[in-house]
Amino acid sequence: MNVKLDKFLRSSATIKTTILLSVVFFFASFAAPQIHAQKRFSKAYSASKNVRLQLLNRTGTVTVEGWDKDQIQISAYLEAPAANIVPVSLSGTILINVVKDNQGRYEVGNVNFLVRVPYTSTVDIETRMGNLNVSNVRGTLVRAHISSEGDITLTNIGAPNVSAENVIGDIFYDGDVQNQGSYRFISTRGNINLRIPFTAGFKLVATAPSTRNISLGAFSNGSMKFVGDGRRVIGQSGDGSATLTVTNQRGSISFIQR
Amino acid sequence: MNCEHCQELISVFLDNELDGSSSAEVREHLALCEPCSKVCEDLAMIIDFCQLDADEAVVPPNPQALWCRINNVIESEVQAEIIKENKEKAARAEVAAQAANTGWLPRRWNFSFMQVASAVLFVALVSSVLTIIGIRNYSGANNDIAGINAQPTLFEKILGKVGLMETPQQKRERILKEREAAIEYWNKRVEARRAQWNANLRDAFDRNLNEINQAVSEYSQILQENPQDELSGEMLDSALDDKMELLREFSEL
Repeated sequence: MNVKLDKFLRSSATIKTTILLSVVFFFASFAAPQIHAQKRFSKAYSASKNVRLQLLNRTGTVTVEGWDKDQIQISAYLEAPAANIVPVSLSGTILINVVKDNQGRYEVGNVNFLVRVPYTSTVDIETRMGNLNVSNVRGTLVRAHISSEGDITLTNIGAPNVSAENVIGDIFYDGDVQNQGSYRFISTRGNINLRIPFTAGFKLVATAPSTRNISLGAFSNGSMKFVGDGRRVIGQSGDGSATLTVTNQRGSISFIQR
Repeated sequence: MNCEHCQELISVFLDNELDGSSSAEVREHLALCEPCSKVCEDLAMIIDFCQLDADEAVVPPNPQALWCRINNVIESEVQAEIIKENKEKAARAEVAAQAANTGWLPRRWNFSFMQVASAVLFVALVSSVLTIIGIRNYSGANNDIAGINAQPTLFEKILGKVGLMETPQQKRERILKEREAAIEYWNKRVEARRAQWNANLRDAFDRNLNEINQAVSEYSQILQENPQDELSGEMLDSALDDKMELLREFSEL
């Protein structure tokens, strides 16, 4: 009796398991494309050493890396609903404008770019929302602008003109400060950390009006003066040939020796 | 007869005033002596020429015709003079008549020294004020709120009270109004589109706008308490720019 019952229970459990698994697979077969429907876009352009990359993204992360090839390689991972991407190569400039290419489409998924450019390229990237990362670039300009929130990370940069701007998010810069260069870092809320060579020569205007949190670290010297009740630091380091403007409305500013 | 004696008598000879024997001697010598003959010829030519010129010079003019010509010339000149004088008189009379009608011109120039001095002083004062206002407006043309926090001078205060110049507060209010108008425009465009955005984008936009609005209200409050705080003015300016940029960039989505 017990053996029969046991067999019955076993067969019943098997049937239940089978039904359960079937249901799971059934729903999973519909759900899976929505979760993992990530398209990939890839394109390469031969480029001169002083090529300019101009990229405007809607939302998503943009990573730009310098490499030792006379070639620009664009890879993009498109989340659903996939955005249209139409890069244009125009007299030494590679233009990618995801906002324009998707004008009138309200539902557009994130686009995560990975772009490799020659070391000496000019890089001008912008996004409405998302992180921006640039590394190993020493062209004439590196500009990273986030309209709203996202972190900006610029590492191993050797450009004479650098600009990084966001509203909410951190800004990290690790690079040179070149003679006669212009460096501008602006945020509304976040932490701005600048890692620059101790020997760098620059004139500084650093403003953190709400927090009054400006840490000069090794760059603190006699010429650096706190003004406006400690809300701003004005001064000079080295020969003062470059200009360094840092504004953080509601966050901190820190200098780190490279 | 020698040459010297002959040449002394040539002039008398040519005038036919010599007696017969002397005239015969002279004529005989002239026939034999070439130099004396030449002198006699020259003298005779001179006498002839003088006689011819004298004849012309003494030709008496027709006195009636001459008088007529002189008379005509004098009359024409006198008439022209009379006409000119009449015209001038008429013009003067017309101007005088006009002046008499309006009664303005003659009195215009009857200023006393004090009146002229006062007028010059007044013109100098007005031109100075206008120049200063012009320079001030030109130098302060930038629309930064930061730039209007400088302490106004006494002169600026007076001009502000008279209404010839904006006070810093008036200027700040004007710039704020301009910014607010621009922000309102972009805000309307965003409002028209934001319903179509996905929830993540909407939330991110609201979060960031709220952050900027907090900064704006913080600096506005500081400036109300201390209108001369230049740094807060600068930060307010920057925050309003950020707000406008955020709205403009999201209005494209």
